[in-house]
Formats: sequence, structure tokens, C-alpha cells
Amino acid sequence: MFVNHEGGHYLEALKYVGKSITRIDAVEKVLGIAEYASDIELPGMLYAKLLLSPYAHAKIISINYEKALRVPGVVSVAVGDDFPFRVGLYVNDRNILARKKVRWVGEPVAAVVAEDLEAAEEAVELIEVEYEPLPAVLDVREALKPGAPLVHEELGEYAHSPAFNPIAGTNIANRFTLKKGNIVEGFNKSEVVVENEFYMPQVSHVQMETHVCIGHYMADGNIKIWTSAQSPFTVRYILSHSIGVPLHRISVYVPYVGGGFGGKAGINFEPLVVLLSKKAGYRPVKLELTREEHFLAAPLRQGFYAKIKTGVTKDGKIMAEKIFYAFDAGAYADYGVNVARAAGYSCTGPYYVPNIEAESLAVYTNHQWGTAFRGFGHFEFLWAIERQMEIVASKLGIDPVEFRLKNALLPGLTTATGEVLREDAGRVDQCIEAVAKELRWGELTPTNDPKKVRAKGIAALWKAPAMPPNAASSAIIKFNEDGTVLLSVGVTEIGQGTVTSLAQIAAEELGVPIEKIRVVPFRHTDLTPYSWQTVASRNLFMEGRAVIRAARDAKEQILEIASQVLRAPKDDLIIKDEKVWVKGRPEWSLHLKDIVAGYVYPNGNTIGGPIIGRGYFVGTRLSYLDPETGQGYPALKWTFGAQGVEIELDLETGEVKVLKLVSAFDVGKAINPMLVIGQIIGGGIQSLSLGMWEQYVYDDKGRMLNPNLTDYKIARAGDIPEEIIPIIIENPQSDGPYGARGVAELSMLSVPAAIANAIFHATGVNINDLPLTYENIWKALNKKR
Amino acid sequence: MLPKFEYYSPTSLSEALDLLEKYGEDAKIIAGGTDLLVSMRDRILKPKCLIDIKKIPELRRIEYKEGVGLTIGAAVTFKDILEYPNLEKKYRVLWEAVKTIGDMILRNRATLVGNICNASPAADSAPALLILDARARIINKNDGVREVPLERFFIGVKKTILKPTEIVKEVFVPEPPANCYGKYVKVMRVQSEDLAVVGVAGLAYRDRGDLIIRLAYSSVAPTPIRVKEVEEVFKKKNMSLDEKIEEAVKISSEKVSPISDVRGSAEYRLNLVKVATRRLIKELVEVV
Amino acid sequence: MSRRKIRFKINGVEKTVEVEPNKTLLWLIREELKLKGTKKACERGDCGLCTVLLNGEPVKSCLVLAVEVDGSDILTVEGLAKNGELAPIQRAFIEHGATQCGFCTPAFLIVGHWLINRNPNPSREEVVEAINGLLCRCTGYKPIIDAILEAAKYMRRT
Ligand SMILES: Cc1cc2nc3c(=O)[nH]c(=O)nc-3n(C[C@H](O)[C@H](O)[C@H](O)COP(=O)(O)OP(=O)(O)OC[C@H]3O[C@@H](n4cnc5c(N)ncnc54)[C@H](O)[C@@H]3O)c2cc1C
Ligand code: FES
Ligand code: FES
Repeated sequence: MFVNHEGGHYLEALKYVGKSITRIDAVEKVLGIAEYASDIELPGMLYAKLLLSPYAHAKIISINYEKALRVPGVVSVAVGDDFPFRVGLYVNDRNILARKKVRWVGEPVAAVVAEDLEAAEEAVELIEVEYEPLPAVLDVREALKPGAPLVHEELGEYAHSPAFNPIAGTNIANRFTLKKGNIVEGFNKSEVVVENEFYMPQVSHVQMETHVCIGHYMADGNIKIWTSAQSPFTVRYILSHSIGVPLHRISVYVPYVGGGFGGKAGINFEPLVVLLSKKAGYRPVKLELTREEHFLAAPLRQGFYAKIKTGVTKDGKIMAEKIFYAFDAGAYADYGVNVARAAGYSCTGPYYVPNIEAESLAVYTNHQWGTAFRGFGHFEFLWAIERQMEIVASKLGIDPVEFRLKNALLPGLTTATGEVLREDAGRVDQCIEAVAKELRWGELTPTNDPKKVRAKGIAALWKAPAMPPNAASSAIIKFNEDGTVLLSVGVTEIGQGTVTSLAQIAAEELGVPIEKIRVVPFRHTDLTPYSWQTVASRNLFMEGRAVIRAARDAKEQILEIASQVLRAPKDDLIIKDEKVWVKGRPEWSLHLKDIVAGYVYPNGNTIGGPIIGRGYFVGTRLSYLDPETGQGYPALKWTFGAQGVEIELDLETGEVKVLKLVSAFDVGKAINPMLVIGQIIGGGIQSLSLGMWEQYVYDDKGRMLNPNLTDYKIARAGDIPEEIIPIIIENPQSDGPYGARGVAELSMLSVPAAIANAIFHATGVNINDLPLTYENIWKALNKKR
Repeated sequence: MLPKFEYYSPTSLSEALDLLEKYGEDAKIIAGGTDLLVSMRDRILKPKCLIDIKKIPELRRIEYKEGVGLTIGAAVTFKDILEYPNLEKKYRVLWEAVKTIGDMILRNRATLVGNICNASPAADSAPALLILDARARIINKNDGVREVPLERFFIGVKKTILKPTEIVKEVFVPEPPANCYGKYVKVMRVQSEDLAVVGVAGLAYRDRGDLIIRLAYSSVAPTPIRVKEVEEVFKKKNMSLDEKIEEAVKISSEKVSPISDVRGSAEYRLNLVKVATRRLIKELVEVV
Repeated sequence: MSRRKIRFKINGVEKTVEVEPNKTLLWLIREELKLKGTKKACERGDCGLCTVLLNGEPVKSCLVLAVEVDGSDILTVEGLAKNGELAPIQRAFIEHGATQCGFCTPAFLIVGHWLINRNPNPSREEVVEAINGLLCRCTGYKPIIDAILEAAKYMRRT
């Protein structure tokens, strides 16, 4: 189905949009020639190596790096006081290298810069640091207690964006509150009240490519950065802000990124390499984290604690919900504050709840610092909400699918922030029903082995992009002299494949074959049109609209010229198959290539010139949220979905095998079904992996015990379910490009809850703490016995 | 990066022994390198010299002689073992254990002798070798070859009886009892690939009608261990099979001494020992 | 630490270089020969993204010393396409969406290529076994498994 929402010139079957064309970057990638930041080498380049803190919380008394400087090949050593700048996306709380004190085991304390990595590695071991250990806070609830050690004594002095609310003198980096309806009345009307607590540990993105960046502070004062970042414009902006160099003097180059998942959003090690470059005599400096350093020093997904109280009527209507979320933000929360905010305004999940009181906190601890991670805030709170829904349904004796459908948030109903869900919003009920049907909900599969049971579980989900109201995207379409097209967009290619879909949209709009469109494969802030960030499943939607506008802008310019040449009014002209035609008169036409660089009459007279189309997009009528009640319009679009599993559980060992994984999402319109399915499958497995196995295991001193892929297990080919079923549902949203909504993050939101719900059905045992390791499951089963 | 070292690749055993004699503690033997290089990268080991034994032809030998046994040279990889004709049948428990080690690509390099010389409590080949009465043939420059039963080879976590000047030349695995059936159960944190949380190797056969069961474990004690006491239980006359099995489970769980680490708690490991032992014996008994 | 001269063939080309003993094959490929297709993601045998064929067999090149490859024949992702024509495994990866961020792709291609040349009719289980030593964080493996099975079909057809 296709709704011609943008008022195109004529209705016609789509040629590229909706087709599973292969990725435009695939050939480069299979040839092994796709460029990643770690592949880049520059003349005169130096290598950096970090010294990481062994303490979770300690004063730095002294640092002696005399011996390190004497290692042959070492050019420079830097410590925190060399770089008296703070960085931060939303809250300016982060040091370049630790200053005065260290805040987590793994915080970079010093950096050695040398001619080669070997020298840098040798030298870093020779740096002597004297610490004075301080009491550490290693638990999010401990951190909230009065008198808890403060991670940031100077919190009150940090600059921050107005959307956030850090509380000086506490460990609260952001406090988000929400009030809807009347909570007291809501609970009074409830016949059953259920309260539970839930927990999730910190986890790593485990992008296959670790963080890599090269900084070159040049002698003329300009700065160049090559980095594996998701958001080059954010890197540029924050760096500029932090060190006081204007934007036009900073260039950020981003090649292909070997996996981002949010961990490379915001700003990470770029300021460090830039400042190291200056200190090392204006030579380029490269930092490439080892896997261990990536685990210890790079940002991760915050830990999470939730307490939810739900009031329902006996026939299964949710009347009230009191919600408390606390995120273990770790040592810095410059980006992490937004995680708590996002969880706060979506706090109920995809359900209609008339009366809500919610509080969502980002809490500093002496754990590793947190950042964005695919579906941030939502992966965490949906674990809690979707478990809670299951528990409530069972208390009521109502089938959990039916209970979810009864309370589904449908168009016309209000969200937690008081937003009326638009009439062309996605449909969570259809997603739930599709998953239930595919799972044969209600049918039980017996096992031959009495030690094993099979069961099914379902969980629903929703998310909107967590972004400021003014987050913008833009696009440039440049015609080359031969009629081919260069499409330039700011969204980085981190694996999600957005640029392929954008090329399809451009081809569709321009009437140019897709083979003749090339998307510029890198991002360079000097040349690339602005994009706020590559995050939040916002880019297909926002860049998509910007591309449509850029294409129409280019076409408008083309028609302007063609109208003169063809001596026909613009609205009688159409662009199709690389030509401009007079409608109904195919014999009166012009080749695009004869117009796009200026039309030349036989006598040499020329009209027009090089065609460059441009377009931008910002969300319509998005607003800041009320600081007290959290009411307002935060959502560019809501994507809804549901996920379900069938599992087999070994009752004696706790081993769980997911036999079948089903996911359904209302994507509005699948611009490229193959890419959508790729996201659904990939995100589904990532979610399964995170839910079942992944966690930062800390000892009582806050030291991570599993900082490698030997002991931080992630899913391998041998771990995936035999059956993985992606389901695409298409209820188009009229302001999305061709009706599309984003899906990339959504694909990973609810698998853990679905598995735990299945375990509950199999055994009657509720597991409210992640991960669902075999051992944890066994322990939970044992407790019951 | 790896710390600096000198590299030698002798082409004869005597050359290798000379080098060991010369460098002693400063030298390390490298076979597949899959343990050694990781430890060196982690700076746990910083040997001054590595002696690569892969170019020594006699160490590459793997040979089975009917009625005698199987000889596995120090440079024989797990892949070589898996591909050697008939081993899957003849030495099923060993073959199965080898198949659980790491992944196919790792097994192209990693060696069985490296696995036991590394002496990790989690060495997957060890339990099978223990119940098959395997012996390490150790050689040094001056004393020639000595043969040590594997049970006496391991003395602690990552510790063996090897002296710095010694090489394990090969492992010899005697001909298994006729009509025996063996199996290795490895419990991991995931389905796909992992070090063992608990590993159990079992072997069963009938000796003139009497049921004989042997069991050995990995990852539940400072060294891989064979629990010989279990073997007595099945020789007892006045007990039902089920009682014997429960008795065996009890003895095994008393003999192991698991610790808690990132792979699992002692408590969970103990449970796995019980569950896996019980299940394993039942399966073995059904077959023989 | 004395440097050693080694000779080997990589992607069909003879090379002679001098290396220090503490350098790995992965280092030789990426840093000395500047073949950047082979990736590094753990340097301790866990991720498998450094996998190349050494004398026809897949090895994790971060756990092989460069000095050991004297006299060997090495194949990396750069050697898969011949005369500008993609190998069957490469075509199948493109068609099945088996590459997303692409960082793991070279390793999966190498192992897939090795598998279908050794066994042109692999079962799904055999494919899983072959790639179990490699990590991918993006695709969920299913498209990769499908692509390898499809590439085997291409092989059988030709
Ligand atoms: C990704 C990965 C997964 C793994 N999975 C498993 C697993 O599932 N199960 C398991 O048991 N192990 C596993 N291991 C560990 C390792 O692969 C095995 O222990 C392997 O058998 C070691 O053999 P090697 O030839 O590589 O030994 P090397 O690393 O070459 O040597 C190991 C040690 O033994 C010494 N040594 C080697 N040969 C001799 C000899 N002939 N005489 C005297 N000393 C000698 C060396 O000096 C060194 O100290 C894994 C390793 C990795 C990297
Ligand atoms: S880099 Fe070699 S296995 Fe990870
Ligand atoms: S495609 Fe990104 S890691 Fe595999």
C-alpha cells in the first residue's frame, strides 16, 4: 500500500521504495576495502596509550612519569592537569583525563604518546601514580542514601542543558518527574495493586570495532579529527564548546563505523587525541582501544533499578501506576542523563494509563560511565514494565496477551506526557496479535524429557527518538555534469543501512536510476550537511524527509530551466526516466544531463547552472517537557512492536534454549524490507544475548572481573534460535518519508522480558533481575523449591 | 603487543632439548600458542625465548596401534586428532572432549599436549585422558624419556611436575577396554563456545558381566581430577543400580572442591556435578 | 631481539620481509603489508575477526607469530576476488544482506570461502560449526549462515 502523502505530481507504482535492493556499501565491504578509522594512517602519526585507574574512587596524590619519558620513542606524557577542560553533551561533567581524583576503575589517568605503539605500551607501565583511596559508591541505591560519598562534589557548578535537572550536593545527575491524572484517585479505583522491583546490570555495546580516533591539532590552529564516531557534528560542537575553538576551525571525518549501537554517539576520546596532538608538537596522534580498554574505559549501558506499583480493576483495566526508575549512570553522565529522561517520559510502555506518578533518576556511582545504547532507557524499563504486566495479568487470572491488548495504547489515547497519540500512529495491538499468532499462543508443546519444559512468552514495546526538539537533519543532492547524482547526508553508516534507503528515496523522487546515485561514503563536517546525531532511530525518518525536500528542491530548479527550454509551464512538466517531459508529449523532452549543469542553446547561450538541491527537517511542534509534570510533546514518532519466544528449560541446570524468536514492528512503510529484516534479526539476537548472558561482573572494590570476550560472553552463531521470524506491519505515518518510521533500536527492546515471561509460564517462578544466565535461573528455581 | 623475545624453531628434538638446557626458566615451549601467546599479551608471562616445536617431525606423529594404544605427539593439533581415522569410535570420550574445545579455527592450531601442559583446571581433554589411563612421556637432555601417568602430572592450578628443561614428547593412551562406551559432558555459560563451567568424562564397560564406571572432572578442583572412589561403588554387590548411581553422585560431589569465579559459583558447580554425573552414568549404563 | 627474514606468498604474491619475533601474523598483514581488510577486535583468539587462510586452513592470525609463516601461503579477504570478479561467497553476502557494519565481514568471507571449497554441500550445522569462532554484533548470524549456504549452491552450479 502506498499513500501519496506528499502530494506528488501523479500516482504511480513505486520503483525503488519498498524494494529489497542490496546495500550500496556492500561491494566495498565484501572486498575488504571499506575504510574504518583503525585503517587510517597519516604521515608523522604518533600512537597514544592510556594508563587506567586501578581504583574506583581515589584521590590522585602524585604522578611521576620521568621514567616513561626516558623510553626511546616516547614523545610526550600527559596527565589530567595538562588539559583543564570539561566536556559533556547535556551536562558538562567529564574530564579529558582524570583530575584530582579518579571515579571508576578504568578511568584514564595519563596518556603516553610515542613514535610507535610498542614504546607507548612500555612507557605507560613505568608511570607511577600515588593514590589515596576514598570510600566508593558501587550501588545505585546506596548512592541515593543521605551521606553517601559524592562522586561529583562540584555538580552544582557544571553547566547543563535546560532540559536536565542535576541536584547539587547529591549523586543525582538528573531528576525527571512526571505527573498525569490523579494518582490517589487512580489507586482508589483499583481493585488489585501489585508492586515489584526489577534490576538490570551494566552491559557493553561490544561493537566489533573498538573506539578509534586520530586527532591533529595543526600548527595554524585548525583541528582535524578522524574518528569512529556516530555523530561528527556533536563531536565538533562539544569540542568547540569545551576548548574554545570556533566550529569552522574544526573538521571531523568519519569513515565507515564498525558498529556503534549508541556507544559512539556523543563525544568520547576525540578531545583527548586533539589535545595530545598539540602537546606532542602538532603531530597527529592515534588512539585505538584494545578490547580490554574498550571494556574498562569506554562508556557502556547504565545499570538499572526499578520499582513499579500498578493498580488495576478486576476486569483488567490499568488505573494507576507509580513508577520509580534509577539508572546507575556511573562516574559521568554527560550523555547518560538523557537515558533517565527518555525512560521517564515513556515510563508506562505501550499502554494507556490514566493516572501516573513517575520519577526517573540518573545516579552517579563509582562504576564505569554510561552512555547511549540502542533503545536507551527503553530496553531497561521495558524489562521492568513487561515483567510487571505479566505478573499483574497472572494475579488477575487474565491471559497476558489479552491483558496487554486490553490496555494497548491506541491512536486517540494519551501517552504518559499527555500527548494524544496521532491517528496514523503505529498499532501495538496488531504487533502483539501477529506475534501471538505466529507463536501459536495458547498451544503447548510437551517434551519427552521430564527434566525439561517448554513454554512461550511475549512482551510488547514502544519508543520514540530521545532527542531535543530542535534536533535537525539535512541533505544535499548534487547533480554531476553527466546526470549522475551525489547524495550527501550527515547520518553515519554504522551498519544500519540508512544510506541505502535514502538512495532509494532519492532515486524514487528524482526519477534517476539508483545505479546513477552515489551516497558520499564518508562524513566530513566541512562538506557534509548537518545532522544532529546518528542515534535514536531518527535518521531514516528525518534524513528521509530532508532527502525528499532536497530532491524536490533540485527538481524545482530543473523544471525552472526546462520550462524555458521546452516552452511549457512548469506544472505541465514531469521528470521521469532521467528526462523532463511535457505531459502527454514524450516527444517533447530533454535529457537531465543536458540541464543539470546549465542548458546550452545551439548558439552557445546558456541558462541555469549546476543543480544543487537542499533540504532540511526538524520535528513538528516538539516541545520541552514541563519540569514538574513531564507533560508535553517529546516524540517525533512512536514505533510500536512486540516480541515473543518459545523456550526449552532444563529444570535441573537452569539452561534455557530459545527455540523460536518472533518479532513484529509497525514500521509504517518498509523502504527496504531486506534492511528492515536485517535490523529485526540482528537486534533480536543482540537483545537475546544481552538478556541472557551479558553483564559487567564487579568485585567488591568495583573492579570489572570479565573485561574480555572470553568471559564477557556474547551470542555466537551456535546460540541463535532455530527459528527467527521477523514480521513487518505497515500502517503508514503521513509525515514519515513514504510513511516510514524507524525500527533499528526497536528490534532489541523486549526479548529479555519475553524469555523471563516464558520461564514464568513454565515454572511459576518470577525472575526480576537480569541477566537470565543459566545459573541465575537455577538459583531462582531453587529458591522456589 | 607481545613482550620481546628470541625465537627458535628447532627441527629435531635434541636441538630443542639443547636450547631448553641452555635457557632453562627463561625459555618457553610454543606449540599452538593459543594459551601461551594470550598469557604473554596479558604480561602474565614474559619469557626471553620461545622454542617452537612444530617443525620437529617426530612430534607431529599421531598413531594408533590396534591392541596397543594411541600416541599423540606434542605438535599434534586437535584437528589432527578429530580427523584421525576411527578415533571417534575407538576413543569416543576423548574425541568428544576434543570437539568441545574452543572452535574449529582454534583447533587448527591448538594441541592436546599444550592443553595438558598448560594445566588449567578447565582443560577439556584432561578428564577423558585421565579415565583412559593416559601417560605423558617426558624427555630431557640428560635422562631420556620418563613416563608419568596423567594423574601424577598435574599438581596445581597451571602447575605440572615438568621441570624447565623438560618437554612432553607425547601422550600415550592405552587401548581402551573392549566394548566400552564413553562420553564427555561439558556445561558452558552459553550454547555455542566457552570454557567449561563443569566438565565430566565418563567411561563404562563390562568386565565379565560386572559393570565398570570411571569418572573424571574438569573445572571443579585445582586440577582436573579422576574420582576413583566411584569405581568401587559399582563393584559392590548388594545395591541396586539406582542406589549405586546416587552413591556415585554423592562421592563425586564430596571429592570435588569447586571455587566461585566469573564462570559460575561453587554452589552452582556442585549442582552441575551432581546433575551431570547422574545423567551421564544413566546414559552410559543404557549403552553398555 | 633479532629480526628475521621470512618469505611467504600472500594472495598469490611472493614477499620477503624482516620481522621481529614478537610480531603476530595479524600485525604483519595490517601494519607491515598494509592489508587493512583483515580486522582486529580482541587479539586473544576470541573474536576470530583476524582469521585468514594459512596454507589453506583458517587460523586466527593474532595467535600466530609472523616468524612462523616463513615458507607459507596466505589468503586474506583482498585475495578473494579474481580479476575484478567477485567470488561466489562475496556475491552471496551481498545478496543476503550478510554484511551490516562490515567489520566482521572479511573473516566470515574467508571462513565461508574455505568451507564451501572443502565441502560444496555443507549442512546448516556444518556452517554454524565453521563460523562459531567468529563474532558479529550486527547481523544475528542468520543472514550470514544463509549466505554461506547460498554460496555453496553457486559453487555447485559452476
Ligand atoms: C579462544 C580460545 C578458546 C579456548 N577454548 C578452550 C576450551 O574450550 N577448552 C580448553 O581446554 N582450552 C581452551 N582454550 C585454551 C587452549 O586453546 C588449549 O589449552 C590448547 O590446547 C593449548 O594448546 P597450544 O598448543 O595452543 O598450547 P601453547 O599455548 O603452545 O602452550 C601452552 C603451555 O604449555 C607449554 N607447552 C606446550 N607444549 C609443551 C610441551 N610439549 N612440553 C612442555 N610444555 C609445553 C607451553 O610452554 C605453554 O606454557 C582456548 C583458548 C582460546 C584462545
Ligand atoms: S583479533 Fe584475533 S581472534 Fe580477535
Ligand atoms: S556486520 Fe557488524 S559486526 Fe558483523
